[in-house]
Amino acid sequence: MDLALLLELSINGAFVGMMYSLVAAGIVLIYKTSGIANLAQGALAMMGAYFAWAATALVGLPAWAAIPLSLVAMFAVGALIERFALRQMIGQPIIMAIMLTMGMEIVLRGLLPGVFGTAVKKIDIGIPNAPLFVGDLLLNRTLLIGGAVSFALVLAAIFFFNSRLGIVMRAVSDDQTASWSVGVRVERAIAIAWGLSAVMATTAGILWGATQGVDWSLSLLLIKALAIAILGGLDSIPGVLIAGVVVGLVESLATGIIDPLIGGGTRDVAASVIILATLLIRPHGLFGREHIERV
Amino acid sequence: MTIKRRTFLAGAGAAAIGSQLHVSFAAAQEKVVRFAMPQDFTRVYTFATTEYNQGQRDYASLVNAKGGVNGYQIVLDVSDHGNDQPRAIEAYERAKTQGAVLIDPLSTPVARALVPRVTADKVNLITAFSGRSDAADGTAFPYVFPMSPNYWTQAGLLVDYFRQQDGDLKGKKICLVHIDTPFGKEPIPVFEALGAKLGYSFQAFPYTPPGNDQSAIWPQVRRAKPDWVVFWGVAVGQTVALTEALRNGIPINRVSSSVWLSESDMDIVGRAAMKGLIKVEPCASGTSPKIIQDIIKTVIAPGKGAGDKAKVGTSYYNYGVMMAALMIEGVRKAFEKAPNGPITGEWLNAGLTSISNFDADGFMPATTITPQDHQGGGKCRIARWDGEKFAPVTDWFTANQDVVWAEIKKSADEYKKTAK
Repeated sequence: MDLALLLELSINGAFVGMMYSLVAAGIVLIYKTSGIANLAQGALAMMGAYFAWAATALVGLPAWAAIPLSLVAMFAVGALIERFALRQMIGQPIIMAIMLTMGMEIVLRGLLPGVFGTAVKKIDIGIPNAPLFVGDLLLNRTLLIGGAVSFALVLAAIFFFNSRLGIVMRAVSDDQTASWSVGVRVERAIAIAWGLSAVMATTAGILWGATQGVDWSLSLLLIKALAIAILGGLDSIPGVLIAGVVVGLVESLATGIIDPLIGGGTRDVAASVIILATLLIRPHGLFGREHIERV
Repeated sequence: MTIKRRTFLAGAGAAAIGSQLHVSFAAAQEKVVRFAMPQDFTRVYTFATTEYNQGQRDYASLVNAKGGVNGYQIVLDVSDHGNDQPRAIEAYERAKTQGAVLIDPLSTPVARALVPRVTADKVNLITAFSGRSDAADGTAFPYVFPMSPNYWTQAGLLVDYFRQQDGDLKGKKICLVHIDTPFGKEPIPVFEALGAKLGYSFQAFPYTPPGNDQSAIWPQVRRAKPDWVVFWGVAVGQTVALTEALRNGIPINRVSSSVWLSESDMDIVGRAAMKGLIKVEPCASGTSPKIIQDIIKTVIAPGKGAGDKAKVGTSYYNYGVMMAALMIEGVRKAFEKAPNGPITGEWLNAGLTSISNFDADGFMPATTITPQDHQGGGKCRIARWDGEKFAPVTDWFTANQDVVWAEIKKSADEYKKTAK
């Protein structure tokens, strides 16, 4: 095996992983606040990318205006989902709320291509496709920039949880009833978490959309995001960053090492194996808190 | 008012039977030839179906506006099967009771699932640019019609074009980057057989469907130092492949695709950046061919078009026109053979297998379909993207049909033995 190729696959894989971790961070954000695993996160990434495309292609806005507008719109979408869908589930078993998010994923995956058309759409955020060689290594500009943006946003999320609002959210996550009793507006905190999660999904959707084009397949980011969130720990934002790099590396190296041996594409199998192995060996993930219930 | 359960069931049953009778009588009384077009508008083939189907409907409208064929109108029953086999089979069974003599599902898994049914029911199944490549053998698949160069032929044509460009392929390397599905793997035997014959080395790189991340594939392709690259996928897999080829600095004029590449793919990746890209072209693209001009004048201008005007003349629209033209030429031939019908699958089958040197005024290669050859001769041309359109760089031609037909026969014989 060519060592230079392995190095190149590792670098690009790590950056791809960081881009995945942005979607995963949204899942963790909601889980940390409300204890629900949001299975619509992939569809929200797709929706945000469609919004950005619509703002540029249909409304005619430049990318620098369309992207912030989409982020604001998607924050509102996230908050509205919490207000009009999730809040109705208060008092219901948690599995029903998770099923609701799954239903949203399916609806959005069918609805958005139906509204905007099924052809792949282009989002141009100004990253050139020309090759960037460092010695014999090719570095993918889109992945470099996308990975760096994702890294910065996940770091921002870590700092956010140490801010006043972040501490409120952590309190809500720990014990909603106790938070209520001391005057914390629990619904508001959860709505903000949904809004921020949608913003993260949109950023990821736009970055991936610039790489692959915008279509329904952006919603498939959910599988990678789940693998990362489970591996890193569903309640750990720093875990997301490290798990993202691990998943990206494993996928990239599996493609380079295992695919030529078996003559098939193993990229997605890697994510599934990571989910299974984590749940079997360390169910709370690498950095998640182990919950012990006294009975 | 209350309705007894028995009364309700009897009424519902009578209504159901009545509705079927009505349709059967209608089909018998009206002068129509009915084609069923359950296609995938919502799942996997969405990248092509809308334009392909639009082209088919516009061509049928053109024929009908001119009085139809022998006084018969062509009716296309369009529905969505969503690439779901049970839904497609249901649509097929419904179409059969309504008198359809042909079905065009534009989906490989659906076409494969329908083969035993259409063979037993004697309904003609169109598998243009999809379905099984061995269906070119009409002796094994009498009611299945690719009527277009299959994937093995397309691989053979590309290799021959590479040979024309380089003079000799001995010592050269061809890399295939393909979606990891039966469709993606299909051309591999032909590339390998031709490699053994012509002396080039061949390497395949599969990617996981749908192909939205190929960042770990293309560095391997680049390091393999290929002389020619063929990428074999659909939809987002195609645009991602092109983007990654660019990012890896692979010369675009050495990169090529099967028929599944369109102008909208060029828009995604960037029209200027794709200059020189090669594809197999089964019919002319653009609006200049006479048949497309006729459609514009007779169907589009009066506002009777089936879809977005801007899509008229795109590659996939024209593929639809091409296939509709062949189907309706089959109807014409069937009327020549048996002017009084009856309009059945067998009747149309006789017409389809009598199509001879049909080229729709130069819109497509001269196509001859016989009871033995359902592919139609296997002619295409090679086109290069010039920044604005796919411009032909060869005339219509066919190549390596000995290798292709060896594969067809091998696979068809297996089907005859095992029905699989």
